[in-house]
Amino acid sequence: MRILIADDESMSRRLLQKTLERAGYDVVAVENGRQAADLLCKMDGPRLALLDWVMPELDGLGVCRKVRKNKERSYVYMVLLTSKEAKEDVVEGLESGADDYLTKPFDPEELKARLRTGLRILNLEDRLVEAREEMRFQATHDGLTSLWNRGMIMELITPELARSHRERTSTAILLCDLDHFKKINDTYGHLAGDDVLRETAKRLLSSVRSYDFVGRYGGEEFLVILNNCNPSYGFARAEELRRAISQRPVQTSSGPVSITLSLGLLLSHEWGRQPVEELLREADAALYAAKAAGRNCVRIAHPGGAHQDQSLPAGVPVRQNP
Amino acid sequence: MKDPQKDSPRVTFDLGELMARVENDRELLRDLLMISKEELPKHLQALREAVMSGDGSNVASVAHTFKGMLANLSANHAAEVAAQLERMGRNRQNSGFEEVLVTLERDVLTLLRELNACMAGVSS
Repeated sequence: MRILIADDESMSRRLLQKTLERAGYDVVAVENGRQAADLLCKMDGPRLALLDWVMPELDGLGVCRKVRKNKERSYVYMVLLTSKEAKEDVVEGLESGADDYLTKPFDPEELKARLRTGLRILNLEDRLVEAREEMRFQATHDGLTSLWNRGMIMELITPELARSHRERTSTAILLCDLDHFKKINDTYGHLAGDDVLRETAKRLLSSVRSYDFVGRYGGEEFLVILNNCNPSYGFARAEELRRAISQRPVQTSSGPVSITLSLGLLLSHEWGRQPVEELLREADAALYAAKAAGRNCVRIAHPGGAHQDQSLPAGVPVRQNP
Repeated sequence: MKDPQKDSPRVTFDLGELMARVENDRELLRDLLMISKEELPKHLQALREAVMSGDGSNVASVAHTFKGMLANLSANHAAEVAAQLERMGRNRQNSGFEEVLVTLERDVLTLLRELNACMAGVSS
């Protein structure tokens, strides 16, 4: 664990540094409060600090106040070192944001014990942050496939459509459905069905760019959003996704299972400012057309109502992206 | 009759306490002794200048740092004298600094001699 020592007095600094290095700390030592505050406010700065109360440029109290104002970085546990022992001094020190204080000259065992308390607090904070991140992940991702869940992918579409409209480009909405999934479940069992869903998610993710979105929309339905997408890329990517799913069987706990995917594709620039629900309804209609056309194919939603098979229409008025 | 206080060398720092503070690390002890040999005269000079200037807050500030250093060396008597100067400076006293400073100077000079002797022992 890295620890910062701030003390303008060289003997005290040396004593602290050696004592803490012997206790296994990685020590960063500075001579004034300004340097201490700068380091502690960095996102990757030390999270444990021993600060002398009286220092040039910025005293220990000033460092504590500055660090506590910075809400973005993770918690920093700060111990004030002081020869001030009056009750009002201690209160002032703790009110400035210090977690603890230690009277100089320090006893090495007491110093280490107090820092162990700090480590326990930081460890607890780490566990809380981890739990919060885990909950955030669970709230936004599908438990089986780890893709975005339906709620999150719906939240992601709206700003993306607004951006592509503003920048006069296009967003591709791809509604995808595994063919005959019920039959897979009935034939191979639900565990094999889960294997198929997980592998489908993996193949979809590996077939799009890092900044595209892939979500699980329903049981065996997936929603893919291709951002900043020109039509030719949209068509090619839809076909690529279809091929990625059908090209080889999925290895499941019940043996290899061949699967195919039907896709409904919609390019937002053709639809003006339609609500998301309307666009999804149209993509769903194109998906239905792909199913009706024999499955394992892509159909495109056009404002006229006809659902074409995929072919690049000429003269599409959008910016062409690389 | 001889004054035992005057004739026997007065121990100005507690070596046992200092060894406990450095956790019996002789290398660290040597480092501290070297720092003190260099820094104590500088701090004493700074304190002398602050007293001459009659600036109470400056006396308090320099005496505070000096006190911390002496306390780290377990030079408890000298640290207490420095603390007295700090209090006097903080209370904006206009007189009495010189007298206390003389006591501190005498203590520090004895301390430096004892630290030198201690250093010779540590180095050998």
